[in-house]
Amino acid sequence: MKEEKSFGKKLVTIVGGAAVLASAFWFGGGAVGLPGGIRGGLAGLVFMAMIYAILLALPKGELKEKTFFQNIRFKLPVAIVLGVIIWFTAGAFGFPVWWQIEFVAFAMVGLLYFIILDMRALKVEKSAADWSFRLIATYALASVLFITITAQLPQFDPAYELEKLNKPPVKLSGLAGPEVIAAGREVFENNKCFNCHKVFWEGNSDRGPNLGTKQIGLYPEDYIKEQILEPRKIQSPGFDDPKSKKAMPTYYGEDLSDDELDALVAYLKTMRDPTHIPVEGKFGEQWTWWDDPKILEEGQKVFEGLEPATEGLNCAVCHGKDGIPMMTGALDFRNENNPDTDKMPDHIDAKLKDWPDALWYRRVTRGVDNTPMAPWGTIFPHLYLWKAEAYARTFHDPLDKRTEKRPVPPVPTKEEIESWKKEGMFLDPLL
Amino acid sequence: METPGTTKKTSFFPKFLLALVFVYGLGHLPPGLVPASSFLASLTAPQAAFAQDEEEFVDEEEEFVDEEEEFVEEGEGGGEEAAGEEEGDEEAAGEEEEDLSYLTDIGPAKEHEFEPFSFLGSSNRKFTWFAAQMHILFASFILGCPMFVVIMEVMGARRTQGVRKAIILSNVFLGILIGVVIGITGEIIVGIHHGVLYGLYSCAFGALMVSFLNYFHRLMNVKASAVVGAIFGTIMAVPLTPVEHYEVSGIVLALINGVVGGVLANMIMFAKADFKFERLAHEITKVIGMCYSFTALSGGLFLFVMLVAYKDFISYLVATFPMLFMVAYPTLFILETVVMYIYVYSWDPLNQQNKKGRHIVCGIILNVLGLSLLCALDGPATFMQTPPKPLGELMDMSEWSKIATMTWMPLNYHRLVGNGTFGGYMVGIIGAYMYLWSKKKEEREYYDWVGYMGNIIGVAIMIPLPAMGYIFVREIYQYDATIGMYIMSDRESMFMLVQGLLVGTMFSASNIYMWVSMKRIENAQRFFPAMKFGFILIVISATIWFTPRRFFATMLPEPGMNPEMVLPDNLAFLALMISKNTAAFALVTVTFINYIFYTIATKTGKVHYGKINPLGPYILIFLGFADIWLMSWMGTIRELSRMNWHVYKVFKDVTPEKFAPTLAESGFHVTTIVWTFFIIMTAIVWLAIKYPKTKKKTEGAPSTATPQMAE
Repeated sequence: MKEEKSFGKKLVTIVGGAAVLASAFWFGGGAVGLPGGIRGGLAGLVFMAMIYAILLALPKGELKEKTFFQNIRFKLPVAIVLGVIIWFTAGAFGFPVWWQIEFVAFAMVGLLYFIILDMRALKVEKSAADWSFRLIATYALASVLFITITAQLPQFDPAYELEKLNKPPVKLSGLAGPEVIAAGREVFENNKCFNCHKVFWEGNSDRGPNLGTKQIGLYPEDYIKEQILEPRKIQSPGFDDPKSKKAMPTYYGEDLSDDELDALVAYLKTMRDPTHIPVEGKFGEQWTWWDDPKILEEGQKVFEGLEPATEGLNCAVCHGKDGIPMMTGALDFRNENNPDTDKMPDHIDAKLKDWPDALWYRRVTRGVDNTPMAPWGTIFPHLYLWKAEAYARTFHDPLDKRTEKRPVPPVPTKEEIESWKKEGMFLDPLL
Repeated sequence: METPGTTKKTSFFPKFLLALVFVYGLGHLPPGLVPASSFLASLTAPQAAFAQDEEEFVDEEEEFVDEEEEFVEEGEGGGEEAAGEEEGDEEAAGEEEEDLSYLTDIGPAKEHEFEPFSFLGSSNRKFTWFAAQMHILFASFILGCPMFVVIMEVMGARRTQGVRKAIILSNVFLGILIGVVIGITGEIIVGIHHGVLYGLYSCAFGALMVSFLNYFHRLMNVKASAVVGAIFGTIMAVPLTPVEHYEVSGIVLALINGVVGGVLANMIMFAKADFKFERLAHEITKVIGMCYSFTALSGGLFLFVMLVAYKDFISYLVATFPMLFMVAYPTLFILETVVMYIYVYSWDPLNQQNKKGRHIVCGIILNVLGLSLLCALDGPATFMQTPPKPLGELMDMSEWSKIATMTWMPLNYHRLVGNGTFGGYMVGIIGAYMYLWSKKKEEREYYDWVGYMGNIIGVAIMIPLPAMGYIFVREIYQYDATIGMYIMSDRESMFMLVQGLLVGTMFSASNIYMWVSMKRIENAQRFFPAMKFGFILIVISATIWFTPRRFFATMLPEPGMNPEMVLPDNLAFLALMISKNTAAFALVTVTFINYIFYTIATKTGKVHYGKINPLGPYILIFLGFADIWLMSWMGTIRELSRMNWHVYKVFKDVTPEKFAPTLAESGFHVTTIVWTFFIIMTAIVWLAIKYPKTKKKTEGAPSTATPQMAE
C-alpha cells in the first residue's frame, strides 16, 4: 500500500506548484498581452486555490465542539482586537464613520459565524414546547434582524417626498429674471435631470455631460430646447456610444409645460464659466475646446468673419488671417512669448502660452481699452468667441504638433462659482 | 326597501328574480338615458380610464363636459368638476382661481376620483401590498414546487418503459429551462447574439437525442452522451437560430448547452430509482393542493382590495388586456386547476395501474401550464413598469405588444429561476418542520434527507439568480435610465443595500447548514479547515457586497444627507459593479466548493441521517424565511420603482400614498406579510402531511404512506 506523504512534503509540492502556476499566469499572460488586472486576478485565484489545497492537506484532526464560554474565550478578545484594528485602519484609509461601523459590524458577524461553527450540538428537543420555543425564536431572530436593519439605515422623510410630488407646476406669469431661473432649477430637480447630469460640482452622476463644465448656457435657447425635446437629434460629443444614445428620455415634450420648459432653459442658460473654456466628453475621457478639431474648424470661420451668426466680427482684419498682425498693436498670436496688454488694469504678467482661460475670455469679451479691440462679448454670442479663441491659439500651438492635450480643469467649486457673480465676471447681470 | 329580516322566506326568490330582471333592464337602458357618472352607467358600458389618442381624448372630453352640464342642472352630485369649470369661467374675468389639476392629472389617462380608506393603521396601499404579495407567494409555491416535484418524481420512479418514455419529455422540458437560463446569461453577460436561442435549442435537442438513444439502451456512457448532446444540439441550434453570420462564441455556447443537455439526460435516464424521491414528491404534492386554494383565495382578495383601493386603475389595467383577462388567463387558470387536481388525485391510482409515465407527463403539462400562466401575468406587470413606446400610440397597439414589453422576458427568466429557488427552500422548510414533528428514527432520517435535498436544490438554482436579476435591471436601464437610477442610486438604493445583506445572509446560512450537515458524515472532518477559510471569504465578500457608495443615496445633495455618508472618490471602487461582481463570484464559488466537499463527503463516508445537529432544521427555516422575505422585498422594490405612476408615464398615481414608503415601514410591512404566509404555510404543512399521519396511526394504519411502485 502506498504510504501517505507527510504534511511537509505536501506543503512543498502545493506551494511550489502554486508558485509555478502563478508565475506562468503572470509572465505568460504578460507575454500574450493580457491586462495587469486579469493577470493579477488569475494569480489571486491561484493563491486562493493554494490556501485551500494546504488546508485540505492538513493532518486529520477531530473537530472539537465547544461550550459557549469555551467558544468565546479566545474568539471574543480576538474579534475585539480585530474590530479595533479594522476601525483604525479604515479610518486611516479615509473611510467615513458609517463605513467604519459597517466593517466592524461585519467582523462581529464573522465572530458569530465562527461561534456557531464550533458550537456544541444543541440538545435534542424533548417536548413540543422545546421545538415550539426554538421555532418561534428562529422566526423572531430573523424578524428582529430584518426589522432592525431596515429601521436603522438612513430613511427618506415621507412628508418631504409627498411635498415634492405635490409641488404645483411652474408658472412664469408675474415672475422676473432670478425667479424664473429659480423656477427652472426646480424643474431641473423635479424631472430628475440630476440622475444623469452634474451641474458643476453638484450631483453624483456622470451618465450624461456635466452641463456646467460643458457650459450649456453658451448655446442659443432654441438649441437647448431641441436638446431637451429631441435628444436623439444631436448627440453631445463623447456620448455617441449606443448606450448613451438611448440614455436621455424622449418624453420631456409631454411632461413639461411651455412655462416649465422656458424656466428650465432660463436656468440652463446660467450654466457658464468665465474662467474656463468648455469641456466635452465623458468623465475620464474628457477634453477641452482647445483640443477639439471640430471647434477649431468652427473657430476659424468666426476668426475669419465667415460665421453667419457673428456677422460683423472678423478677427483676421487686425490679427491677420495667417496670424501675421495687419494692424499695429494687434496681438501676434504666432509668438507664444507675447505678454498680456499693459493697457488694462487687470493686466497679468504671463506669456501668451501660459495665459489662463479666464484671461483669453476677458480680453475678448471685455476688449482692451483705447484700442480697436472692442468688448465683443457685449455684441456677439460668447459661444463663438470661445471658439475663435481656441482657433487663435493654434497660431503658436498648432493642433497637429501637440503631443498632449491641455489638461481638463478641475470642476469649479461652489465658492468659485459664487465669486464669479460677486466679482461681476459675467456681462449679463442675471448670471 | 325591505330589509332581509322582514322578508318572508317564501317570497324571497320571486323578489330576487324580479330584482335581477330590474337590474338587468337598467343595465340595458340606452346610454343616452343614463347619466355618465352614475352607478347605472357602469352597468351599460365598460368603465375604464383609457389613455387615448389626443383627438379621441378631446372628443370624449367635450362629450363629458356636455353631459356634466346637464347633470349640474339637475342638481345631482358627482359633477363638481364640471361645476367648478363653469364657476371658473364666470370668475375668469375677476380673480383667477388656483389650478390644482396637477394634483389629479394622471397623464394620458383620464382624471379620476380617489377615496382614501384606512383600517387599523393600514391604508389602501398597505392592503394592496399585503394582498398582492400573499398572492404572489402562494402562486410562487404552486409554480416553483411542481418543478421540484416532477424532478423528484422522475428520480424516484422505477425505469419502466412508460417512465422512460416520459423521461424523454421531461428531459426536453428541463433542457429548455436550463438552456434558456445558460443562454440568456451568455447573451447578456457575455454579449452573444441570440444566445438564448442557441442555449434553448442546443440543450433541448441535445437532451432529446441522448434521451431517445438512452431509451433504446444505447449511449449508456455519460461522456459519450456529452459528446452526442453537444454535436447534435449544435447541429440543430445553428440553422434554427436566425443570425446573419455565425460567431465562434455562439457555437461555443451551443456546444456547452449541448453537453449540459446530453449529460443531464443521461444521468436522469439512468439514475437509480430511489423510493425516497417518490415519497418526497408525493408529500409535497399534497401541500401544493392546499396551496392552490390559497392562491385562488389570495388572488380574489387582491382583486377585491384593488377594486376598493384603486378601482379606476384596476379597471384600466384589465380593460387594457381584454383578451388576456377574459380569455387566456381564465382558460389557463382553469386548465391548470384541472390538471393540478388530476395530478394530485391520480397519483396512487396511476401508480397502482403501472402508469407512472402518464403521471409524469401530467406533471410536465402542469408545469408548462404554470409557466404559461406566469408569463401571461408578467405581461401586465411589466406593462405597468415599462409600457411599450411610443406612449402616445399605446392604445393603438396590439395586446401582444402590450404584453411583450422590454422587460417581459427578463422578468419571466427572473421569476422562473426565482420560483425554482423558492421551491427548493420551501421543501427545505417542509423537511425541517416534519423533522421536528417526527419522533420515529426512520421518519427523522427521511426528513433530514428532505431538508438536505431542499437546501441543495434551492442553493443550486439560486446561483444563476443574480445574473437573472442583473439582466432584468439592465433592461430597465435601457428602457428608461431614470427608473434604473431610482432603484440603484436614489430612493431605492437603501432597499438594494438590504437586498445585498439578505443575499449575504442566505449564502452564509446555506453554508452553515452544509457545515452542520457534514458533522453527521463520517470522515468529513478533513474538509473543515478549508471550509472555515471559506467562511472568512464569505464574510469579506458579504461586506463588499453590502458596501454602498452612499449611505443616503440621492442624485443631488438633499436635507438629511451629509458628507460623512458618501464614500470618497478614491475608495468608491469598492461600491462599483466590478467589486460587487467579484464579491458575488466569491460567494458563489465558496458555496460551490463547499457543495463539492459535501458531495465528496457523502460519497466517501457514511451519512447518519436523522442525527443532524438539532440546529440544522432551524437554519433551514431561517433560510426559507430569509428567502421569502427577500422575495417580497424585491417585489416591493420592483413595484416602487414605478415611482408615482401606476403605469410608468401613462397612468399617474394621484393618491396620498404615491410617495416611496420609508425603509423602516417597508421592512416592517414585509415582515408582517412573511409572518402571515408562514403561519398559513405551517398550518398547511401540518394539515397536508402531519395530520394524516397522526390520524393513520390512531387508526392503526401503517405509519408511512407507501404508494405502490409501478411495475
